[in-house]
Amino acid sequence: MPGTPLDADAMAHRAAQEMFSGAVVALGPGLPCRLPDRLPIGGVWFLADSGVVGVRGMDTNTSAVDAEGDSVALIFGGAFTGLVEIAGILRGGHTDIAVLQPAQVAANGDFVHWTTAATNGLFAPGSAVDMAYGASKVVALMPHRNADGSSTIAGECSLPVDGAGQVDIIITDVAVINVGQDGLELVETAPGWTADEVVAMTDAPLAVSSDLKEMTFQVPTLEIPDKVYASAVEALKDVPEGAIINVDGFAGPGGMAHYLMVGLRDLGVKGLQLISNTAGVARVSGFGAPNIIDHSILVENNQVAKATASYPVSPSASRPSAFEKAYNRGETELEVVPQGTLAERLRCGGAGVAAFYTPTGAGTLLAEGKEARTINGKDYILETGLRADFCIIRGHKADTLGNVVYKGTSRNFNPVMATTAKITVVEVDEIVEPGQLGPEEIVTPGLFVDRIVVRPADFSAYL
Amino acid sequence: MTSVPEKPNAKGKLYASVQSALEGISDGASVLVAGYAGRGVPETLLRGLAEIGVGDLTLVCQGAWAQEPGKFGISDLVATGQVKKMVSPLPFHPEYGGPVKDLWESGELELEVVLQGVLAERLRAGGAGIGGVFLPTGARTRFAEGKELRPFDGKEHVLEFALKADIALLRAKTADTLGNMVYDGTGRNWNPIMAMAAALTVAEVDDVFEPGGIDPEMVITQAIFIDRLVLAA
Repeated sequence: MPGTPLDADAMAHRAAQEMFSGAVVALGPGLPCRLPDRLPIGGVWFLADSGVVGVRGMDTNTSAVDAEGDSVALIFGGAFTGLVEIAGILRGGHTDIAVLQPAQVAANGDFVHWTTAATNGLFAPGSAVDMAYGASKVVALMPHRNADGSSTIAGECSLPVDGAGQVDIIITDVAVINVGQDGLELVETAPGWTADEVVAMTDAPLAVSSDLKEMTFQVPTLEIPDKVYASAVEALKDVPEGAIINVDGFAGPGGMAHYLMVGLRDLGVKGLQLISNTAGVARVSGFGAPNIIDHSILVENNQVAKATASYPVSPSASRPSAFEKAYNRGETELEVVPQGTLAERLRCGGAGVAAFYTPTGAGTLLAEGKEARTINGKDYILETGLRADFCIIRGHKADTLGNVVYKGTSRNFNPVMATTAKITVVEVDEIVEPGQLGPEEIVTPGLFVDRIVVRPADFSAYL
Repeated sequence: MTSVPEKPNAKGKLYASVQSALEGISDGASVLVAGYAGRGVPETLLRGLAEIGVGDLTLVCQGAWAQEPGKFGISDLVATGQVKKMVSPLPFHPEYGGPVKDLWESGELELEVVLQGVLAERLRAGGAGIGGVFLPTGARTRFAEGKELRPFDGKEHVLEFALKADIALLRAKTADTLGNMVYDGTGRNWNPIMAMAAALTVAEVDDVFEPGGIDPEMVITQAIFIDRLVLAA
């Protein structure tokens, strides 16, 4: 006799074993939505596609709902976003795990989401497809059988597919199945179930792993990693030679990560490719404080191989910037990008948009070598998303989870740049505890930020 | 927040009636309607649309949730027969069904199902002057059928074009008389992005303050995107 199918709690506990400290976990409707309630864990960012980063679980009379429309509370340090930001978090490589409850999964990882016999011909994908295509790992959390006893796992989907080849692992109420290049492999069975019993109730070829195990339900202890670093040098010491680095630098006053720039200088790492609005004009323009620190300190230290910028020259021809001098000596490369195009390219890089048609620069020198296209009678050129290895940004305050708020126009490029790098380092005036920055005021959610340092009040020691 | 005036001020973009705030909407209009699972839904404006009786509307929205007594949502507007077409990632709840499902099945309502993140990106493109975007989402499925495909970094991408509409109906928590707005929780949802993507934007809010009543660091939708305000009923 087969055992009893697992209940939803046990399935949730097994699903938790796929998570790791600091993971960003997107939750689809159905069973996945209730994971935060069933798991006594912090340490991950549960996403609701309604616009929540950091779901804590169900609660009454809150200002938030999840994908099921249920009222939920946020963790301390949770943040609200709009739906376009959520779409970018899902698509832009920021989501580690998506947990979905498909109606059907095929042997090749195709899945059908909410299509049922009752909605035949129509479908209600919501953002399940966005989650599946965006997440590094897609977990299908679902009963092994439909109410009528038929298998939810099939050789091929019998209904139109919502996601092609997207599912990586299937966790059901009787088994865990890996979806690989060669098809499905049974790797775990629920207590009381044999491999033969699971194979018999699965309507798809199912290989049994030579390392077959019994499912366990130990929930891992997870913590969001400590992001606070002692100094700029500590936070940047793994920047490799030739790294692409986003650095804000609208012009001068505020917004620029002076302390992290000093850290890069002191590390001396060479061949840097900076993406920045200016290539360092604060010093020659004499604005901002400390105006002596801008990109020039890196250029003069022979660390800059290239700049991608919209304002690479000094406003005064008689006072060229350090970068201009280096460029004129043939020591650096330069890619000039209009400011709005630079912002859009960064935004697309961070939001998983490979390329976009922009009207800016069509028919000019800036369009040379780029695809031109007329859409609805208007001329556009194709620009691609930009990504970086590191990003150094300046915030006003951060909490220890990495949530950031800015001050005035020092916001400028910082929030968009924070979304586009493999490792984002922020310097702030003050670090506070989670919950001290409100969910409505957070501009950069903590999932984008990897490292935090406190900026010194006085830079005289670094000049 | 900075200090806020105690009483809302009835000047600027604040319209005295829902009727006047919706003036100019005609038959056949394309309408963006914000809201997600009952939060951030412009109920007063949807009721107003039903009362005005304009028809042949195309709605772009999250979808229709269950009808609730005393509330007025997408389902209720669709039930009036004023809607010709709906563009949505979740047109109706598979279990609940309701007027959207009924009218779709009887052929009186056209449905275009889109992916939530793709819709968000198309609206953003519309609002930000981008002509089209290449997205990985939905490649090799029916969502990519008939669309231009192109590989980037070895991965297939789908070309999606910008989406704009005639009017956006929005719901915020508070506004100032200039039209700067803040939201409440997940009531934010489609509102900021739809505010950018329509020729005419009308928002309903709980309170309207004098300029300065909303901290500039807290503003989510800037005044330049908002044309008309009404107080929520």
